[in-house]
Amino acid sequence: MKLRAVRNLRLCTKDCLCLYVCPTGATDTEDSVIDADKCTGCGMCANACPSGAISMVPYDYPVQQKKTESVKAAILALAKSKSDNEKAALEAAENSDKPGLKKLMKAIAKSERLIAEDLMREGGYMLPQSKNSHDLLKTLIADPPSASFPLDKAKELLRLVKCNEEEHEGGRYRCSVCFTEFETEKGEEAVCPMCRAQGDDLERLKDYEN
Amino acid sequence: MKYICSVCGYVYDEEAEGIPFSSLPDDWKCPMCGAPKSLFEEEESKEKEEEIPADVIPEDGEKLSPGILAAIFSNLARGAEKQYLPHSSDLYRDIAEYFTKAVPESSKNKLEDILSSSDDELSRLYPKLRSIASSNKDRGTLRVTVWGEKVTRMIKAITEGYLKEGEDFLKNNDVWVCSVCGFIYIGNNPPRICPVCKVPDWKFERITEEAV
Repeated sequence: MKLRAVRNLRLCTKDCLCLYVCPTGATDTEDSVIDADKCTGCGMCANACPSGAISMVPYDYPVQQKKTESVKAAILALAKSKSDNEKAALEAAENSDKPGLKKLMKAIAKSERLIAEDLMREGGYMLPQSKNSHDLLKTLIADPPSASFPLDKAKELLRLVKCNEEEHEGGRYRCSVCFTEFETEKGEEAVCPMCRAQGDDLERLKDYEN
Repeated sequence: MKYICSVCGYVYDEEAEGIPFSSLPDDWKCPMCGAPKSLFEEEESKEKEEEIPADVIPEDGEKLSPGILAAIFSNLARGAEKQYLPHSSDLYRDIAEYFTKAVPESSKNKLEDILSSSDDELSRLYPKLRSIASSNKDRGTLRVTVWGEKVTRMIKAITEGYLKEGEDFLKNNDVWVCSVCGFIYIGNNPPRICPVCKVPDWKFERITEEAV
């Protein structure tokens, strides 16, 4: 898995061991942000850092656990109530000139948003890289809710953030574990029928024509 | 008899304290998280949960409301930020901002409305979600249920407190919100760790009159 080093500035105590061990100078920057273009992902800086401020993060994230429809429906019902309450609390804050009430209503609005975010995270939108998140962007791009919708930003995100779930195109595969060749239908996940190997162990035979 | 705080789990042991729980003053608060006396429950009063039939996804389930879309995108912004993708995070944040502005005006913005909506969540929506999550063995959803329910109890208690005491309710205290789970704390300083999600105090944000 391809990794890159990142620094948590809150933990960094400037012991500078990352500068000593980095073979490419990626850790030596004026803004303390490790240069992703230079980082080779070797992990030396993370191992050497005495304050545990550097961690290795992946470029690719795994597919998340699927949620059942009944869980999603119950989550949506609650998230709706939470977002309605957020709006109500924001308006209550705006409509009042009492300092205490203003603060409390702002706190409640913030709290309701955080709970709604957390709910939708469990409701299938945890990762920017997930197919759900991508499909949502695609739907909004195809049918923008209004003229002022930031279409360019949605398109840029679709380009920048790679989807971690392949659309199974179907076709012919060769298993590199047991050398079985087999075909799959469109939408079906490729798994070797002989030894159950999948993913990188399978080679998609590109020249194969249906 | 022991009484347990339904927000943070603090145990009030009548025997150890020497004062019966019922004799504590009405404005007595949980020493750990500040929850009011009314949020304490007798130990062993938990009833067995009954199975609640699952909701069917509504026909227009694909059409997410602007409020929910705002939460989805502000959450994705946070996700991208955690992955050290600041530019993508900004883009998600801008889309979230668009949907936040697109939320239609609320016709239920009185304190009483907020109170009754929290009541509905605690009596109907949370028990239902917990039951469905348990029967599906969905630990992630159970986690969000436990946190959300505790924070919602606090939201309800705060709304009730203000309705009763007005501006005196705050007593010159600051209002703090845990930036992870949304727990609200009223006091001069935030608690050392969040009583609901256990993050350290620097994750708390002080709410001012001006800040949105």
